[in-house]
Amino acid sequence: MSGSLGGKGMKRFDIDGLGEKLLRKFAGSSSRRSFLTKLGATIVAAPAFPLLPVSRASAATKDRSPEAKTAFARNAQTKDDTKCDYWRYCAIDGSLCSCCGGGMSSCPPGAEPSPVSWVGTCINPDDGKAYLIAYRDCCGKSACGQCGCDNTDRETQLYMPQLNNNVIWCFGTKSMEYHCSTAVLVGKAS
Amino acid sequence: MISATTMAGIGRLAGAAAISLLALAAAQAQPAAAPAPAATMAPVEPEEPFTHKLPEWSPHWGFVRGGWENGGTRIWNGDTGKMVGLVSTGRWSDLALDPKRRFIYVSESIWTKVNRGTRQDMISVYDPVNMALVTEIPLPGRLIIGTMKNNFVISDDGKTGFVYDFSPASSVIVVDLEKRKVGQVVELPGCASLVPVTGIGFSALCSDGTIATVAVGPKTSTVSHSQPFFKAAEDGVFDFFTYDRTKGEIVTLTYTGLLRTVKLGAAPTIGDAWSIQAAAGVRPGDTRPLDINWFPGGRAATTLHRATGMLYVLMHRGEYWTQKADGEEIWVVNMATRKVVKRVPLKKPIGNIEVTQDAKPLIFLSGDGGLVQVMDAATYEIKHDIERGGGGMIVVPDVD
Repeated sequence: MSGSLGGKGMKRFDIDGLGEKLLRKFAGSSSRRSFLTKLGATIVAAPAFPLLPVSRASAATKDRSPEAKTAFARNAQTKDDTKCDYWRYCAIDGSLCSCCGGGMSSCPPGAEPSPVSWVGTCINPDDGKAYLIAYRDCCGKSACGQCGCDNTDRETQLYMPQLNNNVIWCFGTKSMEYHCSTAVLVGKAS
Repeated sequence: MISATTMAGIGRLAGAAAISLLALAAAQAQPAAAPAPAATMAPVEPEEPFTHKLPEWSPHWGFVRGGWENGGTRIWNGDTGKMVGLVSTGRWSDLALDPKRRFIYVSESIWTKVNRGTRQDMISVYDPVNMALVTEIPLPGRLIIGTMKNNFVISDDGKTGFVYDFSPASSVIVVDLEKRKVGQVVELPGCASLVPVTGIGFSALCSDGTIATVAVGPKTSTVSHSQPFFKAAEDGVFDFFTYDRTKGEIVTLTYTGLLRTVKLGAAPTIGDAWSIQAAAGVRPGDTRPLDINWFPGGRAATTLHRATGMLYVLMHRGEYWTQKADGEEIWVVNMATRKVVKRVPLKKPIGNIEVTQDAKPLIFLSGDGGLVQVMDAATYEIKHDIERGGGGMIVVPDVD
């Protein structure tokens, strides 16, 4: 149910305002300040948001030498998206939808994609560039249970939920039951 | 209509049965053929089925949650290695025990049609003897995340529960556990991971590097923040911090291994930070890639024995950003002297650790594959290896 959370006692909230469109817009041109301003107008008045996708981008330093890369980035591959070391999965936690009848950026049959996501910044080993990745859960079905991965590059704790990979990001779907996770490429991080 | 053939068949069956019964009777009539001393003979008297009660709670019990595929929480007796019962905890739930051991609480979310239908959030209340459901306290929501150590906590007097919600706006549901109803919902943007604060309300860690303190009033609450003391994105404080109710303190630990004590209160006192690696004579942890060192990590990787001030931390070798990696060693930290007094190698990777609070403590460990281990905290000897014992978060009963 895009655009509202529905559900018993849940707060109404502009889901799309937090969704992929916003990330894409940010990835394209927004400065950090303008992004935060827009987000701040949408989300609750948090005391500080130094922590949104931006800091992921800054955390993935522009120095892409092996000495500057995380262990995951040094060993990531670009050929097989059903393996946990596929480059986009640097901060994913859950079953890979590509092992569950879906794809890297698409849900398996009958599952509903969440309009919101947590985010990561992963380095593509083919071009050495950093990209923003939106980890969107597919929801409304029992857990897929295949290809469980838990990668933690720049993953933070629950008080920074947008960078935490434990949260079930099924807000705004008909059912919050978790099925699997996708890794949607949003754009270049720098 | 029953055919003659069928009747003949029944007759044959009846005949055969009669012969069998006769043979059985003949066998029973010859007790000398099957001598069985009464002392070793299995009971043969007719029985009535019944349901056990839980025995008196032991401080050596460990409530160990199953893994992702099996969310029930098994209660293990650390002395015997035997299971004494199970708490029904579904995948989307958090378990909390009343500090006085009067109730077992499960904060949980279900749907009326299993994976669809109407969502229902509640605290299910169980009695500690029969484990019967006493009541359900409806909640206006709660975060669905599996389970986390500090998402559902109870005040020291057992009267108030605090349930973390994220919808995705962050708030805390304050529950009156005596009246068994929700008191109020406190908006708490940018903060999570809760701890009760006696006489005040509760505190939570925040994304701006502060600790928030919420003074809970009868109808409304006020929120205040400390000065920032950690960098959430660069070297965050683990949300599985330990709480010592006797001192009103928490011990926090960062990804790189910085320990710190925070005295809770209306205005928390933030202690200075010190390196767990340095306390062991090892180079302090760093955020740089390719810097192989010992780092803390796991799902619930710290536990404090209050009376002795010993902190037990799961540590592993690796690079930074391995904060969920299972522990390869337990580092025992004397919080008073700020020294690592023992490093205990683990034979299998362990993600969760919890120490009992009695005078002869046991350490419960759980890891992938459902392994539960019980370790003597004095000798570090493994007392029990329990296969399929759990694998998830561990809770132990409080002691007076």
